[in-house]
Amino acid sequence: MDDSVARFRWLRVPALVTVVGLLVAACGTSSPTTSNLAKDQTLRVNIVTEPNSLDPGQQQYSYEGAIGASISEALLKIKPDLSDAAPATASSYTISSDGLTWTFKIRSNAKWSDGKPVTAADFVYAWQRILDPRLAASYADPYFVGTIAGAADYSNLDAVKDAAKIPAFLAGLGLSAPDASTFVVKLQAPTPFFKWIASLWMSAPVRKDVVDQYGSDKWATSANSLITNGQYKVSELVSKDHITLVPNTNYWGGQPTVTKIINYEISDDNQAYAKYLNGELDTVNVPLANTDLVKNDPKLKNEIKFVPQLTLFWMDFNTRKAPFNNKQARLAFSKAIDRNALTTNVLKGRSQPATFFIPKGMNGYRPDLGKSQDFDPAAAKTMLTQAVGDPSKITIDFLIRNITANKQIGEFIADQLQTNLGVKVNQVVIDSKTVTTRLRAHNYSLYVGGWGADYPDDQDWFDIWMTGSGNVFGGYSNPAYDALVKKADIEPDAKKRQDYYDQAQKILIDDAGGGFLYQRNYMFLVKPYVQGLTTTAQDFEDVGDWFWGKVSIGQH
Amino acid sequence: MALAQGAPPRGALISFKIPRGRGASLGLYIIRRILWLIPVLFFVITITFVLIHFAPGSPWDKEGKQLSAAVVRNLNAKYGLSDPFLVQYGRYLLNVLHFDFGLSFQYEDQPVSSLILKSWPPTAVIGALAFLMIVIFGIGTGVVAALRQNTWIDYIVVGFSTIGASTPAFVVGIILIIIFSVALYRITGSNFSLPTGDFALDQHLIMPVVTLSVLPIAFIARLTRASTLEVLRQDYVRTAWAKGLRERLVVTKHVLKNSLIPVVSALGPTFAVLITGSVIVESVFNIPGIGRAFVIAVSSRDYPMILATTILFSVVVALANLVVDLLYTVIDPRVRLG
Repeated sequence: MDDSVARFRWLRVPALVTVVGLLVAACGTSSPTTSNLAKDQTLRVNIVTEPNSLDPGQQQYSYEGAIGASISEALLKIKPDLSDAAPATASSYTISSDGLTWTFKIRSNAKWSDGKPVTAADFVYAWQRILDPRLAASYADPYFVGTIAGAADYSNLDAVKDAAKIPAFLAGLGLSAPDASTFVVKLQAPTPFFKWIASLWMSAPVRKDVVDQYGSDKWATSANSLITNGQYKVSELVSKDHITLVPNTNYWGGQPTVTKIINYEISDDNQAYAKYLNGELDTVNVPLANTDLVKNDPKLKNEIKFVPQLTLFWMDFNTRKAPFNNKQARLAFSKAIDRNALTTNVLKGRSQPATFFIPKGMNGYRPDLGKSQDFDPAAAKTMLTQAVGDPSKITIDFLIRNITANKQIGEFIADQLQTNLGVKVNQVVIDSKTVTTRLRAHNYSLYVGGWGADYPDDQDWFDIWMTGSGNVFGGYSNPAYDALVKKADIEPDAKKRQDYYDQAQKILIDDAGGGFLYQRNYMFLVKPYVQGLTTTAQDFEDVGDWFWGKVSIGQH
Repeated sequence: MALAQGAPPRGALISFKIPRGRGASLGLYIIRRILWLIPVLFFVITITFVLIHFAPGSPWDKEGKQLSAAVVRNLNAKYGLSDPFLVQYGRYLLNVLHFDFGLSFQYEDQPVSSLILKSWPPTAVIGALAFLMIVIFGIGTGVVAALRQNTWIDYIVVGFSTIGASTPAFVVGIILIIIFSVALYRITGSNFSLPTGDFALDQHLIMPVVTLSVLPIAFIARLTRASTLEVLRQDYVRTAWAKGLRERLVVTKHVLKNSLIPVVSALGPTFAVLITGSVIVESVFNIPGIGRAFVIAVSSRDYPMILATTILFSVVVALANLVVDLLYTVIDPRVRLG
């Protein structure tokens, strides 16, 4: 059951292990190729952007996740192949027969970076804190608000006006610690995906005495006061430049081989790429413009690491407006896009075409369901003409964020629609915040949106197309879809659950709730001396950043 | 004269008597100028406050995953954004009086003042170096061009300053990146490592500083050349030549002292150019300074950060102008403060 310990023992002696000819296709641990370790076990990576916060309760962005997941450890942790959540700070957990009570056993040897034991009370405090309206934590709703017993009232509590009611609300939550090593969570409904909530990096414990001593807003802003429970801890914080991690010597799982991780914050991908070539970074995201150059370079092409991500993009149709209030029109638009040309020419082969919703790497991946959106320009034009009349009379406001990559994709889509359907497309390229404001106000016709998995469970994906969802702006609504997803979300039987989700996906695709476009892949360069890199389809801003602890640096 | 009667004399804002004596009046002048900052800042704050609050997009509008309505409401409550506009404005003014510039929206709960303190050093170093370059090269080339008027040196300087004055900083920066990072990189293969503008205080300063100073150097060079040419035609300079003085003596003792008067007065506005330039240069070269912090703050609608940086910029420009005005009295005895 507890294979993370076994895997760790294996890691301690990577020098002695010689694995030959075992290649893992997309995900998994790549095998050590040399028995010689470098003297300097420093890993230098780029997290692109300075984390807005290192407080687990305040985190929300992928560029915060790499450090968040390294320094703070939740109850469970995703397995590299995403098949399950493995024990982490909790050594085991049990679910009551009604599915409403989850009991986690905290490891007796789990310790904070200052040596104090991690207790169940630390989890109670951390989760109450996330649900405290005064903290206004981004991930509170729906992940915690929608699952934990008593938390639904969060939506009715105002941080200022209802301040007096907040302590009672927090005390009434289904969170308890009967003893130091037992953390009990009561849920609103049977929640098969709750193991993923318990493995979110925001679900890590927080020390009340530390927060009280330094202040809720300050404890996570300096290396001294950042008392955390992960395999690594922060040793240095240099704003807008880098964050250095060193092993947490009190960590329950022993010590990692890499003794220092320098996370640079280089937002310009060309600059990061230059640093990789100069040997100042050990991994780097290949800039889109350099894709072909890297693929054809005799040396660099051997350092390519290609990892599909659980991230998928689609055309978001505003179904409140003509022509997208018409299902056939939406379907016609979906059929008018040549996804292969998009992924080959614009995205340089770094994405996979998709006419379906659930990306490769998840249980619900069913490319066969996407047939109704397959590229067929002739049929698309006929369909559109039949549905809403002469296409040349249609003008579409296409909202595009003012970011190079988005503009290139927008340009391609607009061209396809104009060429294949004969509609007029008005590209509205404006700054990102204004785009979001207009989306939220439904003031647009077309937009390219997407979703990246929070955790590899279908529920995280299907919920966003439910009626009234805030994450898809187009206002898609189909009662049959809603009913199926609601049933699936709480269905304990995995097979039945999958069946409901498949039916829901079929409805969504055939309704053209979105015109699905492509699944994103990461294309990274990794220095050959970086051994044991463990990538997942859920990596944050860098390949393998969930599992830095498994890496070692070979001689070079 | 009659018109001026009854009108308050300049500087009547502070109504105590100006004692005689140059030192004392200088002190008073400085105090008065600094006090004038208060209404200036008041208007800067008011205009900025109004503009950012009516800019489309809220700080909580994100790309990708959206915050739920309940979370947005709590964030608004936490940062006081649910109060009426005038209440927010009044509270902000009151806080600024206490030097409290609020908490940043983008970096959860971090005080704006500490964020600014963190990003100030790179901007100051680049700005100071650029200013030095401007003074040395701007004045230097201008004087040389004037002394060698209508020679090839003059044509080069005039040509360069015309191009320099008409090329925006972001173009200069990108051209430098192309030359040094792309072209030279191709020539030397992967051995060449001159940076595209990676930032550390001890290295990699060349390109940002050059980019930032090209335009002001061109401007100052043209100005210096023109005013030097004018001074060179004055009688006292002709007298100096006639006395048989060496060129160096004529230039340093007689020409420069007078020809630099308009140049010094132009150095004040140059400071403003450096600050607006830092916004562009730091974005092009990815420098973690205050200019880039400002750009990021604007694009993420971090109201307190935008306001605080604007206030800081205003204060710096105002103080630079004050220093220039004081310098003016030193080099030009005709000028009296008052």
